[in-house]
Amino acid sequence: MNKHLNLLYTAVENILRNKVRSVVLILCLIAVLFPFVTALSISEGIKFQSLISVEEGADIYVTVDYFGSNAPISLNHLERFRKMDGVTKVFPRIVGRTYFANRLVTIVGILPENVPKSIRLSQGSMFREKGDVIVGGGLAEEFRLQPGVRFSLSINASKLLRVAGIFDSSASIWSANLILMPFEDASEFFKMKGRATDILIYTRPGYAPILAKEIQEKISSSDPEPSGPPLRVQDKTLIQRYFQRGFNYKAGVFTALYTVAFALAIPALLIVSGFGQTERRKEIGVIKATGWQTQEVMEMVALENLIISLTSAPLAILMAMAWLKLFNGAFIAQFFIAEVGLMAPFPIPSRFLPLPSFFAFLFAVVLTMVGSLYSTWRTATIPPVEAMR
Amino acid sequence: METIIRTEKVDKIYYQGRPEEVRALNQIDLEIPKNRIVLIRGPSGSGKSTLLNLISTIDRPTNGRIFLYGEDISKYSDVQFSRIRQKTFGLIFQNFNLLPRLPAWENVAFPLIPFGLTEKERRQRSTEILIQLKLEKRVDHLPEQMSGGEQQRVAIARALVNNPEIVIADEPTSNIDAESINILLDILRHLEIKGKTIIISSHDPVFLDYCETIFFLKDGRLVNIEQREFK
Repeated sequence: MNKHLNLLYTAVENILRNKVRSVVLILCLIAVLFPFVTALSISEGIKFQSLISVEEGADIYVTVDYFGSNAPISLNHLERFRKMDGVTKVFPRIVGRTYFANRLVTIVGILPENVPKSIRLSQGSMFREKGDVIVGGGLAEEFRLQPGVRFSLSINASKLLRVAGIFDSSASIWSANLILMPFEDASEFFKMKGRATDILIYTRPGYAPILAKEIQEKISSSDPEPSGPPLRVQDKTLIQRYFQRGFNYKAGVFTALYTVAFALAIPALLIVSGFGQTERRKEIGVIKATGWQTQEVMEMVALENLIISLTSAPLAILMAMAWLKLFNGAFIAQFFIAEVGLMAPFPIPSRFLPLPSFFAFLFAVVLTMVGSLYSTWRTATIPPVEAMR
Repeated sequence: METIIRTEKVDKIYYQGRPEEVRALNQIDLEIPKNRIVLIRGPSGSGKSTLLNLISTIDRPTNGRIFLYGEDISKYSDVQFSRIRQKTFGLIFQNFNLLPRLPAWENVAFPLIPFGLTEKERRQRSTEILIQLKLEKRVDHLPEQMSGGEQQRVAIARALVNNPEIVIADEPTSNIDAESINILLDILRHLEIKGKTIIISSHDPVFLDYCETIFFLKDGRLVNIEQREFK
């Protein structure tokens, strides 16, 4: 036991004595790990916010299945859904996309009485009159929109809109590039009279799966437009699963890409860890000549790497936290949030979970070990006189 | 007289099979008696250091066999060689080979780390030897803060810290001053009295008055053996 403790103390002393080499190695590891930790925390943050949005949203979403894609649904369904047992609230929604100058924006049309009470505005008030809209903080900042400003969009230039309020920039990331308008206005804007992109159904607790099944099976078969395509019914659980899968996929793709980058970083780290390798090689030769076993040399170097990794990983996590806090995840958030640009105009959500932190540590260990164990082993197994040359 | 080390037709060939091939040692047969001071002499490039490296197991022969206490160690594994070096040999190198970032006492104590001794024990043991070598004021000095002679004495202290049976010194006087040479000779005498075997490679005549067996090397060959008696 004392022998291993001695090797541990020696490893710590070696790190402290070779300050320049240790600092360079730690900095390199932080440079590699910090974008990875930042990206995963952003991914987790967005996923968390999405799942909250889904949780707070409707229990069932009904639209039309048109060749496997969502298509507008007739408002004739509204009354039939309202009458179903267990349904507490039903309302239509229009969700579309268009360009505001060169910025892709999402337009949501909703009946004023159905606007969630939780929505916070930084300026102005909710829409009261026809043509009133609430715009996202990102849009307002980019195009200097203020309450009272009128504008139109190229897709329907004849429709004049007036900014009634601006979403709070600390609200969810979805509101940054959003234009919220009354349902009727959205209907006119997209020329979709009598239709919605989906119908939102709120149910009593426990009714959602039964009602979803009933809508899919019975109402689809007695459709008011029997010649039309079938309905597509998605309940909360299904949507949560889609989100989860989507984000896991995206984070997985990022991790895979990063693993490739790591693999490419290994030769670079080999060079970095070879910093002072001549001195190290001679040192290994000397201690082998004085009777150290190869296994003891390896243990000491492995402990050095472990300590370096244990130092680098938390520092990378702290730096990721600082990057998100001070620079709002600049350069990294754009991999996860479309159209966000280098500097997002709204607070980028993030979450630091134990698993990504553990992965950061694991990657650091792998990188340092790969970078040094093999060369150490080679040096330790050649005759000491060669290593000392 | 008991033989402690024996070599049998030992060759050392560098870059074997290549145009730049060098035969550093050629068919060396010698026997080193126990509890003697043995000198290996010869001009520069005669193979003295190479022979010491092979005997001390820090290098491997190309051909031939080396026996330690009658046991053939030529085919030993890396682990076995390390064990021999740890328990049997104390090595003093021509250029000292001290670890530049460690103070004197840690350089001396480094071979003790795998023994599991505490830092206090290691420091105590290494300091005792450094005091014997008149280095009490240099215990916490780095090698760069010491003279060549002092560095050589630190290297000697490191060689002795494990209390080895055989002390091997390669050109021990080449980089040190007259005072350090005298201290070194005192140490060698003292070690012989304690029953150690000392093998020195040097062309310095200062050792001639102390060595009972002298091997002469020339161009990698053993050309003469001289046995001497001291009263």
